Amino acid sequence: MGYEPLVNQNPLRVLNLGRGSKQLGLVMARAGLGKTALLVQIALDSILRGNRVIHVSIGESIEKTKAWYDDILQFILQEHSVSRPHELIDMIARHRMIMTFKEDTFSRPRLEERLNDLILQDIFRPNCLVVDGFDFGRADRSTVEDIKEFLESMNLQAWFSATSHRTDNRVSPAGVPAPCHEVDDLFDTVILLKPEKDATIQLEIIRNNGIDSDAGIGLNLDPSTMMIKEG
Amino acid sequence: MKQDLDRVRNIGISAHIDSGKTTLTERILYYTQRIHAIHEVRGKDGVGATMDSMELEKERGITIQSAATFCNWKDHDINIIDTPGHVDFTVEVERALRVLDGAILILCSVGGVQSQSITVDRQMTRYNVPRIAFINKCDRTGANPARVVQQLRDKLNLNAVMIQIPIGLESDMEGVVDLITMKAIYFDGDQGDQLRFEEIPAELQDEAEEKREELLDAASMFSDELMEAMLEEQEVTEEMVHAAIRKGTLSLELAPVMLGSAYKNKGIQPLLDAVNMYLPCPTDVENIALDLDNDETEIPVSNNPDDDLVALAFKLEDGRYGQLTYIRTYQGVIRKGETIINTRTGKKLKVGRLVRLHADEMEEIEEAGSGDIVALFGVDCASGDTFCGGKLNWSMSSMHVPEPVISLAIRPVDNKAQGNMSKALNRFTKEDPTFKTFVDHETNETIVSGMGELHLEVYIERMKREYGAEVEIGAPQVAYRETITRHADFNYTHKKQTGGSGQFGRVGGYMEPFEEGEYEFVDEIVGGVIPREYIPSCDKGFQASMKKGTLIGAAITGIKMVINDGSFHAVDSSDMAFQQAAKGAFREGYAKAGPIIMEPIMKVAVEGPSEFQGAVMGSLNQRRGMIVGTFEEGNYTVVEAEMPLSEMFGYSTTLRSLTQGKAEFTMEFSSYKQVPKSVAEDLIKAYQDEKKEG
Repeated sequence: MGYEPLVNQNPLRVLNLGRGSKQLGLVMARAGLGKTALLVQIALDSILRGNRVIHVSIGESIEKTKAWYDDILQFILQEHSVSRPHELIDMIARHRMIMTFKEDTFSRPRLEERLNDLILQDIFRPNCLVVDGFDFGRADRSTVEDIKEFLESMNLQAWFSATSHRTDNRVSPAGVPAPCHEVDDLFDTVILLKPEKDATIQLEIIRNNGIDSDAGIGLNLDPSTMMIKEG
Repeated sequence: MKQDLDRVRNIGISAHIDSGKTTLTERILYYTQRIHAIHEVRGKDGVGATMDSMELEKERGITIQSAATFCNWKDHDINIIDTPGHVDFTVEVERALRVLDGAILILCSVGGVQSQSITVDRQMTRYNVPRIAFINKCDRTGANPARVVQQLRDKLNLNAVMIQIPIGLESDMEGVVDLITMKAIYFDGDQGDQLRFEEIPAELQDEAEEKREELLDAASMFSDELMEAMLEEQEVTEEMVHAAIRKGTLSLELAPVMLGSAYKNKGIQPLLDAVNMYLPCPTDVENIALDLDNDETEIPVSNNPDDDLVALAFKLEDGRYGQLTYIRTYQGVIRKGETIINTRTGKKLKVGRLVRLHADEMEEIEEAGSGDIVALFGVDCASGDTFCGGKLNWSMSSMHVPEPVISLAIRPVDNKAQGNMSKALNRFTKEDPTFKTFVDHETNETIVSGMGELHLEVYIERMKREYGAEVEIGAPQVAYRETITRHADFNYTHKKQTGGSGQFGRVGGYMEPFEEGEYEFVDEIVGGVIPREYIPSCDKGFQASMKKGTLIGAAITGIKMVINDGSFHAVDSSDMAFQQAAKGAFREGYAKAGPIIMEPIMKVAVEGPSEFQGAVMGSLNQRRGMIVGTFEEGNYTVVEAEMPLSEMFGYSTTLRSLTQGKAEFTMEFSSYKQVPKSVAEDLIKAYQDEKKEG
């Protein structure tokens, strides 16, 4: 599609997102640090690679979710010269679908039904799913396992976000905070967003494609634009 | 005049068709002594209910246009805006919702929450309109208020709480038990106008106690005082409960449910009490104006009668009294004889007669304060215009009016219809800025255009009913556009020698896509190769060419024309010659500039039960739609999509049959987008064929 430069220059390439299709990822942070922004950038990267993405937004409106994409796309267009921006915007709209649920209506059977509606009628065949706003605090291990199994059966790459809380100090052996400290082994990649003293937000990669690591990868999130940056 | 805004209520009555809305309004007007006899909607006396003032409405027993009417109940001024109950008229509904502060949502005790109630309720949520639910027709066979309350919770997600229970149902319906005062209320007299308060019948005592507990539990969430009183088992006063319910209602987190039967004159007076007690007064609601001097910045209106006037004209009516303009004031005072300014046109106008309206009668008044709804006589304006007192330049609605996307040729059947038709068109275009009309000079047909199929149908129907203008209509036409995709040079010489003085002009330059607007003309001529006086001729020639593209004859937009070269002849050059040269140059450039066809894309939202989501998405997908997203809330789903308008004809029928009539859709213009190649080829072929035949 001619958007390879955008993919190749994306700082997120460290995460090797183009690799496995069944990869399951998790982005964790306290409220307001940029989980949604990171998920949207992961989704856009996937779209630019030619994939179709379903963005599941729990407790948010379609309008707001769309606005995230529009904003981040604007930043990308400001930084990179793209010959026909309208075509890119249009292409992204066609490769993305937003599904929003009220907090208590999201479940594996619902998701399965919705995806089947889309796939069986050949309306939209996703390769990647991002799920923003799933409440890990209220889900037990078997629920998460069930969802994981379903996503694997659909051959979908998926990314979840989870909110950690300052007051909850529980942590898994690998260093993943609550509420995901008991399910973190189900994820192939786990990223923590950590605020630093100099007001930047560092990406700490706890696990990268199944390999535990504690080294920083030198990525941070610019708090003014919410864009991922190197260095 | 009363200036106590706490005692003003601007309310709407909204419901599914046939829930008895007009009957209820009629009863309200009777009990508030605005009318002295009750006429039924489909009554035998042939007079019809008072609110349905349009002939068409009387005939069908439905209400199309919102008329405003004023009444007074226990020292409160209530303005009732009668909102249409049918989905086809949602433009009217939304316009009415803008000016009201609270609403009564009527539901049929048998039909319950029907699809239209869902749509209307969602609109009310969008406009933050607090509401009281009234379960009507409790005298009907099959009445089941408890089920309706459950539906209010499940389908509308309202925190619905009964504040009354019925005494008997169906034909045994006698009255209601008020769960706040814990008294039975009976409605005596032929017209139910004598209220009799009694002890609660013994057999209902337990149920009443239980429901009162539910009510207090729900209400206590909004009042610490009530919560404490309940916890400490102190006396719970009526005032505490009323205050808590009011607070919950205003925050839209509680919906008190009342019941009765308007037709049988039961339950109306308590409903009016509830309007006074629970629905907001104008100062409880924040309304936003746009400052036109400041890039349409949003500013809340003050409601202060001492500030400069801000009033919105929300409806025009052409009745037996001449032109009436319904306005709602948001701040300041409007006085007879004063000069006000229409901020859209900048025109000053004098307030002649100022009236308060009952549906068929009116009362002359001297002034109207903020928050009031009144009407002006003989004022020249359009619906949606804002009036200010002169110090401000605010608007209550955005100045942006979308371009029509669909058009229809209409032809009057006879001479009489001809005259009436132009009268009607003149009126409608003033009422509704999105409805436009013009005469196509090539076919000599009158074309009307608007925002959708139904939009135009309503006006054609009104033309017939209100103005006696019978018209034949052509097939609806989508307003396609043409534009270019790349830079192209042109250099064209127009030369003609046919005896007498000839014509000569040469125009050179380029055209390129222009995204910021429809058309731009840039003059880069140096050294007078085209004389100054002929530059506007070039501009004119280009603009004339843009009226009709060469692909399918659609209007061309989004082009920047730059001229930088040319030549002239001292004798043979003229305005006409350069216009012709510019037209030729345009043709030459256009062919090289990669012209494409654009079509209107509509933002469509289909709302319905979740079980039909798959079918709905399938139907949208088949119609070249792009599904943007879905939203699920309980068992209720909204599918948002971007759809080509040309594919939406007849969609309401398809949707109805797909979903057993349980889903509905709304549609608004979003943008113009290029049509896919295969569609473009068909369109071009059809245009060529038509040209050959023509």
